[in-house]
Amino acid sequence: MTRRPLVLLAPLASVLAACAIASLAASAPPGRLDPALAWSSPSVSRPFGSGEAGVDLLPLVASAVLRGVALACAVALAGMCIGTPLGAAAALARGRLERAVDRACDLLQAFPTFLLALAVLSAVRAPTRVHLGLVFAITAWTPFARLSLAETRVLRAAAFVDAATALGAGRAAVVLRHVLPNLLGVAAVQLGSTAAATVVSEAALAFVGFGPRDGVSLGNVLDQGVAAMLRAPHVLVAGALAVFVTSASLLIAGAALAAPPRRY
Amino acid sequence: MRSRLARSVGALAARSLEALIVLWALASLVFLAMRTLPGDPAALILGDQASRAELDALRAKLLFDRPLHVQYAHFSASLATLDFGESLRRPGVAAAARVTEALGPTAELAALGVGLGALGGIAAAVLASGPWLGRRRVWIGRGLVVVAASPLLAIAPLLTYVLAARWRVVPLPGDPDAGLAGLLFASALLAIPLSAHVGRITSASLASLAGAPFLAVARAKGGTYLRVWAVHALPAVIGPTVMVVATQLGALLGGAVVLERLFERAGLGTLILEAYATRDLPVLESAVIAAGGIFVAAQGLAAAVHALVDPRTRA
Repeated sequence: MTRRPLVLLAPLASVLAACAIASLAASAPPGRLDPALAWSSPSVSRPFGSGEAGVDLLPLVASAVLRGVALACAVALAGMCIGTPLGAAAALARGRLERAVDRACDLLQAFPTFLLALAVLSAVRAPTRVHLGLVFAITAWTPFARLSLAETRVLRAAAFVDAATALGAGRAAVVLRHVLPNLLGVAAVQLGSTAAATVVSEAALAFVGFGPRDGVSLGNVLDQGVAAMLRAPHVLVAGALAVFVTSASLLIAGAALAAPPRRY
Repeated sequence: MRSRLARSVGALAARSLEALIVLWALASLVFLAMRTLPGDPAALILGDQASRAELDALRAKLLFDRPLHVQYAHFSASLATLDFGESLRRPGVAAAARVTEALGPTAELAALGVGLGALGGIAAAVLASGPWLGRRRVWIGRGLVVVAASPLLAIAPLLTYVLAARWRVVPLPGDPDAGLAGLLFASALLAIPLSAHVGRITSASLASLAGAPFLAVARAKGGTYLRVWAVHALPAVIGPTVMVVATQLGALLGGAVVLERLFERAGLGTLILEAYATRDLPVLESAVIAAGGIFVAAQGLAAAVHALVDPRTRA
């Protein structure tokens, strides 16, 4: 199989670059209001048009995408750092621990993240991105643990693991030196889909009113768009397309990180 | 050797115990979140204008002035009896009553969504595996990948704008006059991502069956393609399909909350959001726990259906 990492990273890179340029080029902070221009259609000076109370949509969408992607990458990396070693250790320990981790993954993975987020966030008056990140991290580790559990079940029978154990390596050393490097390729693909799912969940929470306090989220754009669906459809289209493009480019970028597994 | 009956009763008991543990863990999480995270709940409920005496009265009513273990014992008792007291915002109405009232519309939406999603997915999988479309059937597979990767949050508002606001071919589901057509439209939206997942898994399972001898026998005995697929192949792949639906239930519930908000439709999601906005703790607690209970029950049902249709899982 030939690898095309650069081509696959291009969508995410161009989305991020476009958003960075758009938010840097904006003269005012995102969310500055200009009531005279409320709900006005796209024009040369405001390519995405204006939203509620005359907010300029282009810098708003751009900074929402940047913040959302930053949150999603943090959550996905945290999930990988927790889940991958946990799954590997559980598979090597076998027995009760292995079954417990397996079952916990089953339950948490199918459990409505959305409901969990509502339950935890309802205790805070206005959630911040840190709160959101913590809530997403509760479930983000499960796919990584599940993947590394399955992969380690194959690896633990490999001769090089037996050899390391026979040479006197402890369990921690076996996991760190011999098992984890072989798991990174599988985990990298999951990074992309976890990040994409997090972007969508953050926007969905903001859409229903549990969003970050600063109000800069794709969900808020969608919420405005739904409220003014007939008067100003461009708001809805901008929000929905931004959600779609961001999540798709993260998924594609995940595929770019997939490395061929090493076996040693 | 134990009889098969004793074994299945044992398995059922183990599943129910597990379901109860999950529910109890969720409920405890809700309890802890409400009480240990920063911020005084009584002040959040009454707002900044409340007097000292009002705050103290509410704290006493919600037991916030007692130590945490006493509160937890009380909470466990109300969990066991499923009685979380009265709604704070609508005095005189039990929180549980408001939740049961909201359950109906959500159950309608979700059940119809699951039905449409499963049917749509299976139909797409049969089309993609059968001989009817010729070469063009690869496009079904590609289409399913694209749909599975598109978030409901992006599709639903766009489709609503185009179909309901622009072309007016379907009524807005939030409209009280919309009736059955509105419900069908809303659940069809909910079914889109589900049908893509079901379609992908079912067509993969059908592809793995394609060379199976029992299908060749059915074909050799003169069965038509449609009959071979419907009578012989589909029952063999129904197990994976049911399990996909089960793993997608969580996403489905989240999707239902988004749709209820989008269409301002009554339901469990709307109730949770309203209780959150007005800090109606008893309603919020019972609604979240009810949603968790439905979810766990639906998962158990899916596992039971899987065991019923696929004898291999009974082991």
